[in-house]
Amino acid sequence: MAGSDDIVLADLSDEELVQQMHDDLYDGLKAEIEEGVHILLKRGWTPYRTLTEALVEGMRIVGIDFRDGILFVPEVLMSANAMKAGMSILRPLLVETGAPRVGKMVIGTVKGDIHDIGKNLVTMMMEGAGFEVIDLGINNGVEKYLEAIAEHQPDILGMSALLTTTMPYMKVVIDALKEKGIRDDIVVLVGGAPLNEDFAKAIGADSYCRDAAVAVETAKSYMMRKHNQRAGTAG
Amino acid sequence: MSGERTVVERGAGAGERRTRRKAEANTGVAQPPWGPLRNPLPPLELLDEDGLRRIEDTALRVLEELGIEFLSEPALDVFEKAGCKVDRSTKLVRFDRGMIRETIAKAPRQFKMHARNPERTLTIGDNTINVGPVGSPPNVSDLDRGRRPGTFEDLTNLIKLNQMLTCVHHSGGTLTEALDLPADSRHLDLYRAHTYLSDRAFIGRGIGRERILDAVEVICLSRDISHEQLMQNPSLFTVINVNSPRRVDKEMIAGLMAMTEFGQPCIVTPFTLAGAMSPVTIAGALAQQTAEGLAVIALVQLLRPGTPVMFGGFTSNVDMKSGAPAFGTPEYVRATIIGGQMARRWGLPYRSSNVNASNCVDAQSTHESAMSVWACIMSHCHFMHHGTGWLEGGLVASFEKTIVDAEILHSMRAWLSPLDVSDEALAFDALKEVPPGGHFFGATHTMARYEHAFHTHMIADWRNFQSWQEAGSLTATQRANTVWKRLLESYVEPPLDQGRKDAVDAYVARRKVEITQRGIL
Repeated sequence: MAGSDDIVLADLSDEELVQQMHDDLYDGLKAEIEEGVHILLKRGWTPYRTLTEALVEGMRIVGIDFRDGILFVPEVLMSANAMKAGMSILRPLLVETGAPRVGKMVIGTVKGDIHDIGKNLVTMMMEGAGFEVIDLGINNGVEKYLEAIAEHQPDILGMSALLTTTMPYMKVVIDALKEKGIRDDIVVLVGGAPLNEDFAKAIGADSYCRDAAVAVETAKSYMMRKHNQRAGTAG
Repeated sequence: MSGERTVVERGAGAGERRTRRKAEANTGVAQPPWGPLRNPLPPLELLDEDGLRRIEDTALRVLEELGIEFLSEPALDVFEKAGCKVDRSTKLVRFDRGMIRETIAKAPRQFKMHARNPERTLTIGDNTINVGPVGSPPNVSDLDRGRRPGTFEDLTNLIKLNQMLTCVHHSGGTLTEALDLPADSRHLDLYRAHTYLSDRAFIGRGIGRERILDAVEVICLSRDISHEQLMQNPSLFTVINVNSPRRVDKEMIAGLMAMTEFGQPCIVTPFTLAGAMSPVTIAGALAQQTAEGLAVIALVQLLRPGTPVMFGGFTSNVDMKSGAPAFGTPEYVRATIIGGQMARRWGLPYRSSNVNASNCVDAQSTHESAMSVWACIMSHCHFMHHGTGWLEGGLVASFEKTIVDAEILHSMRAWLSPLDVSDEALAFDALKEVPPGGHFFGATHTMARYEHAFHTHMIADWRNFQSWQEAGSLTATQRANTVWKRLLESYVEPPLDQGRKDAVDAYVARRKVEITQRGIL
């Protein structure tokens, strides 16, 4: 690849390669991650194992250091982009092989609110963690959310607001989900600077996420619960 | 996509960066490199010409009509010889305004303060604001051990801590009194500690002649220079306070005379707290400060014309309900800024202070300190005494406050540095790259400079509430506690030739024996 270094990924053992991919994710090296994914697949790794051991584990380290203030936002952005590139190779293969999915999210700022930097950071981090994210952008009315849910069948709905005047609209969406009888099919995560835990509870959301790193952790824990429930039912 | 590659170092990159950043986060303290604090703006002219003239005229009337008491026969001799009206029975000296003008004019507008490390040489008198640490508190405090009498260990820790701070330019004097050492000889331990632990200039104790002579000898031995070389290169400050109102103590004059004999600059500072030692009005207190300062500076210029000297302003108010001093008040800010105007009017370098009167490191101490520092900056004070660590009106040297003050000083230096308006900084290409409503976190322009784009702080915490709460809800004072400990842990003694150390040690040992045998003179 275009690397100026003397590391030849194909020469590394599986263990060394995975370690190197963790480092390359940390460094945001997109081309190297794509190459690493191809090598592992060629060596007979399943798409799911490649995803979890090489990519998700690498991004977990990035997430920890983002949370702890070790990394800068632009660096995490680079890491997430590299992860996304690896993920786009794996996604069709994961579907083919029927691997458990990391998770799917529909996200958007609510009606009346066009403040989306925080929402974009959440999208970036969620994609970085392997989630498939359908970003509805800004200023979304109930219908937009309902349509997207019907079309994409997400595990998670994310809503955000910066204005105290638009915050209450989150409840309008959640009430609509209840009316349609689909509230329990989906995890609702809410965020935005003026929100808090109590507000999330009061409007009937599942969780309030104070920042992008917490949003990823929260989403992962809900997905884990969902997988366990399924496993429980199957057994 | 070469843009992606510019910010990363492949191979050693991730692991190395992660280890380094974690180490920095757990043990490091982010500070800009050591450098001068300069105010590129003109000093603030708070009072107009007429107002200044009225204060000055009142000061000159005080000198002419009321006089200043000098409790020193040698000083009275000097003034008498210079033609002043000297009353030997009351020890009051009255000055002719023409003579005062002529005498003060001999003092240099600017001079260099030399240190044992030539890189720490300071310019005193342009737009540079030189910072020194707190001086003279009998107590110290920190969050772990509380408030307690100062010891030699505390003194050395404070010298080390300030040596580690890149916003501090001068090593100061008695950062705390080492009350566990004998009063007559502890100045020797102080000088030795400054010499060993700091590579910056320090303040000698101006109480009596001998303590100054000891400082002169220690400096000469530590730098292997002669008295003549020292006279050419001012390297020692001392603070000479006036026992306001209108009284100058014998011991202080003896210290001043010894300093002047060796060409070393005194910082002449009247102790004019309005309502107690001065009129209850700031204008009156400033007239008194001006009169007292000029009288003592005149003594320096009569003894040895051309000797560098500083005009110190310390005018503040007292709490009229308790009599206790107040600092960082609106009255203090006015007095500091107008005091600077008066010093410039007389062509004298100016000293002020970062002071507050709070009993702990809290909102009051920070607010009052910030007010004081702003006044120092706007008045172009050339030496900011008590720049770090002062608490409780000067009765306590605080380790945490040292860090809070350093945070304020670092920020001041950062905003006063020149703003980059180059094509690269104007970032038109970045504005072009990011669409309306987008963000700049990933812009090429950002990627190339995010790490050092902004001033880094030592104790500010910008995490969201819940993250801050999860990390223990630490206040800035508690975070400052961590920072001073980290700085002390990472302290490295600045190199000093062993032969010079031996010479200083031998001198200190000999003098201690002498002082034990006959006391200090």
